[in-house]
Amino acid sequence: MEAGSTAVKPVGDTGASVSPTGDRPRQPRRDVVRRPAWRQRLSMLDAKVSPYVFVSPFFVLFLVVGMFPLGYTAWVSVHQWGLLSGQGDFTGLENYRRVLEDRYFWNALRNTISIFLLSSIPQVVIALVLAGLLDTQLRARTLWRMSVLLPFVVAPAAVALIFGNVFGDRYGLANEVITWIGLEPIRWHVDTLASHLAIASMVNWRWTGYNALILLAAMQAIPRDVYESAALDGAGRVRQFTSITVPMIRPTVIFVVITSTIGGLQIFAEPRLFDTQGLGGSDRQYQTLTMYLWELGWRVRDLGMASAVAWLLFLIIIVFALVNLLVSRRAGSLKGVHRRPGSPKGARR
Amino acid sequence: MNRRPGFFVYGLLTAFVLGSCAPLYWSFLVGSHSREVLTKRVPPLLPGGHFWENAQRAVDAVPFWKALGNSLIVSGTVATSVVFFSTLAGFAFAKLTFRGRTPLLVFVVATLAVPTQLGVIPLFIVMAKLGWVGSLWALIVPGLVTAFGVFFMRQYLLDALPDELIDAARVDGCSLFRTFWTVAVPAARPAAGILWLFTFMATWTDFFWPLIVLPASNPTVQIALQQLQSGYYVDYSLVLAGATLSTIPLLVLFVLTGRQMVAGIMQGAVKG
Amino acid sequence: MALTLATTAAACGGGDDGGTTADGKTKLTVATFNEFGYEELIEEYNAMQDDVVVEQKKAGTANEHQDNLYTKLAAGSGLSDIEAIEVDWWAALMEQSDAFTDLSDPEVEGRWLDWKTEAATTPDGALIGYGTDIGPEGICYRADLFEKAGMPTDREKVAEMFGTWDEYFEAGRQFVKKVPDVAWYDSSGATAQAMINQVEYSFEDEDNTVIAADNPEVKEVFDTVTSLSEEGLSTNLVQWSEDWTASFQDDGFATMACPGWMLGVIEGNADGVEGWDIANVFPGGGGNWGGSYLTVPAQGDNVEEAKELAKWLTAPEQQIKAFEAKGTFPSQVDALEDPALTESTNEFFNGAPTGQILADRAEAVPFIAHKGPKFADINTAFQQAIQRVDEGKESADEAWDSFLADVERLG
Repeated sequence: MEAGSTAVKPVGDTGASVSPTGDRPRQPRRDVVRRPAWRQRLSMLDAKVSPYVFVSPFFVLFLVVGMFPLGYTAWVSVHQWGLLSGQGDFTGLENYRRVLEDRYFWNALRNTISIFLLSSIPQVVIALVLAGLLDTQLRARTLWRMSVLLPFVVAPAAVALIFGNVFGDRYGLANEVITWIGLEPIRWHVDTLASHLAIASMVNWRWTGYNALILLAAMQAIPRDVYESAALDGAGRVRQFTSITVPMIRPTVIFVVITSTIGGLQIFAEPRLFDTQGLGGSDRQYQTLTMYLWELGWRVRDLGMASAVAWLLFLIIIVFALVNLLVSRRAGSLKGVHRRPGSPKGARR
Repeated sequence: MNRRPGFFVYGLLTAFVLGSCAPLYWSFLVGSHSREVLTKRVPPLLPGGHFWENAQRAVDAVPFWKALGNSLIVSGTVATSVVFFSTLAGFAFAKLTFRGRTPLLVFVVATLAVPTQLGVIPLFIVMAKLGWVGSLWALIVPGLVTAFGVFFMRQYLLDALPDELIDAARVDGCSLFRTFWTVAVPAARPAAGILWLFTFMATWTDFFWPLIVLPASNPTVQIALQQLQSGYYVDYSLVLAGATLSTIPLLVLFVLTGRQMVAGIMQGAVKG
Repeated sequence: MALTLATTAAACGGGDDGGTTADGKTKLTVATFNEFGYEELIEEYNAMQDDVVVEQKKAGTANEHQDNLYTKLAAGSGLSDIEAIEVDWWAALMEQSDAFTDLSDPEVEGRWLDWKTEAATTPDGALIGYGTDIGPEGICYRADLFEKAGMPTDREKVAEMFGTWDEYFEAGRQFVKKVPDVAWYDSSGATAQAMINQVEYSFEDEDNTVIAADNPEVKEVFDTVTSLSEEGLSTNLVQWSEDWTASFQDDGFATMACPGWMLGVIEGNADGVEGWDIANVFPGGGGNWGGSYLTVPAQGDNVEEAKELAKWLTAPEQQIKAFEAKGTFPSQVDALEDPALTESTNEFFNGAPTGQILADRAEAVPFIAHKGPKFADINTAFQQAIQRVDEGKESADEAWDSFLADVERLG
């Protein structure tokens, strides 16, 4: 760990594990100073009650705005529920059946996964290389780090507008370049794969530098003598990178993948703003699940079906997270080195 | 070991950084030319002189200043609230003993991965009942707390706040809240700053929920941008001038606090 | 913290278009889409009023405007004091007529064409919208490109060429042979829309039963338009898309179906392009595309003031000014006779007497097509099916089949 980069002290326990219990704090020593009895009682009351007072604003608010809506979504999803007409009859799992029978649901699921794969795989690879480049004795290293983070401050909506222009079907910069080198122009808004690539490129552009910094932090925790002995064995830079660096930061890589899964499965702004109509193309070739949810709720005006989609999306995210977890358990035998306080919630865009 | 980078590393990094800047530059480039220039086959590579003119048109086309004010109010309030409540709860979880602490903390951790924005439909129904759709309350209230914030502050305070300090404050007869205020808050400041920054950015860039609850007349910056684009004719000089303009506040924030952001990401203060 | 919340509380209250401005004036908002031509009118109204300030909110497309309208209707708040509504959505919103103020008023009786008023009157006699414009259609064309193709450029001669759709398409075939880089019309979807507007019962019958799937007239429009795309008559671009917009600057096409309100759109998109003109003709006789109403949502704070403003904006004199600004053709009886309308010309369209042309076009409209509550949603699916063929994503048959599936889904 180098000095200059740490404006704050290291956070949390240094293992990769997420321990809910932590260290048991010691009891405040209440017996040292003699106080009047009423003050002492007050102080004891304070010690007993205050912790609950401290945590309760969070729990109350979180239950109201976080948990209750999730439960209520389930309630809405088993009713007929129009945007304008409001609550109707109880219909059991009818909404789920209609969603699962709707070809646009499966279409949206395919698109979401495709865009997610196209955005996360190259992103992790490039971020790894970038982190490797940054994990050297650079001059002006803070400046380099800040530079790679620059795209992160551009909001997805702005990113979508900029890239939407670059990937214009007839008049965009990307096609100008492609035709200039003598290739056929690509119909970015029409072809399914091309549109996914264009949308994934927005995600990649915004998040690669960010993830590189996370990976860089993990790389810097690798003891330098490991490299030294490898160098003595005659391993070159690239060899060191692939056989030491990457395996040693695998838990962090998995963490990056998990967070981009939770975010990536909810991708909305980029595909939504990719054209002016906001439905994901003529064949909904880039309509994602969240866009589908929006369309059902606010265009088709069926909140019941939209709620069913929300729950299905929730389940899909859990499945993906569990798969990731299993993978990371297996990879966990390689000692985790990255210091993280835990996985953040997936509000990514 | 000598890992002093050579020309190759600098070259690759420079290429990457150019790639990072290119879209922003392109946005400024398009935004600084008049529309006629952009229909030419070979796009210009140097900025034109029309940026402010185009930006002015963008500002006239949508309630831009109001959007900016709204974004500042919402993001500022949400970030401040998240930091306050997270520090308070994080302090309790890190340093105080109380019955049910462990299960409650497990609950916090378990909800970290719950995508709360999937609750948009009931939130919308509730906001409609409260008459908040269209007002900033609809954006602020659901963002007031995050499980991540609590967990993040708890992890930080666990190490950064020595028990001795708390004991000393208690010995001096401080109430727990005074202890929190005089001891924990100063100790938490660096992490709180980072949490504030990232919560602010996440709220500022949010698009889905504001799109649902805010009307065109009372937008955040992101919604104003969407309106610029959804015009029946898309004038890219205007749209990208607007996109560039809308990015300036965060760019300023980035220049001022980029070091802290980098440090924050490298220590795990992510995506508050 | 308490302070922050307190200050934001004030800010939040103010952020919600609370109905009054800082200096105590009543604030009215008017939400429109595309071009209504209200900018100068609103300035005029503001100058006339001491205690009312009017602000216009313009959405880009009718679609976007509608999304917002539904959401805020559902929310019971957040709508503007006056909301414009396009006829394609009108029937769906009539089902929510309780949400709108009854605007009947002896002063406005007989102001509009009968059918315009009838469509805005609920079964129990409430008038929930004041008509703004109607959309009589002519054909707009690029005289300079016609010349290139060796076709007549004079608007009277052009009018003679387009008596029927067959003639219009045949002229297009000739045109694209001579000028292969330029399409004949702007988009398949728009052309299909113009043709659908000439079908009295297209997607829904009199009782609003969905008949789109079995209606031979709908299928014929679909087949015609999709086969013409194969012949290269269409730009294959989607109306309102970015490339569609750009094609105005790039000599992308030579003609387009042109309801009055489209004049302003063309002028905006084709800014700097010379050669546009409009012919006093529409294939198949006449057609009406679009047109809107102003409504006053009951949820507003200033319903009375909003009604006054809507009344003023939709008065014949004002609608004529809107027409002069953006070509939105009046639905008011008195306006149609007014010399200010019939003698008005449009510089951008080569000085064409647009007032008289559109008045003639309005006269030629044989009936107003029935649009039920599902019209807009089915129409979106119909347009997308055509688009899929244009883009080569599906064959015409496949696209028709998936359109049928979409209709089933919306059913």
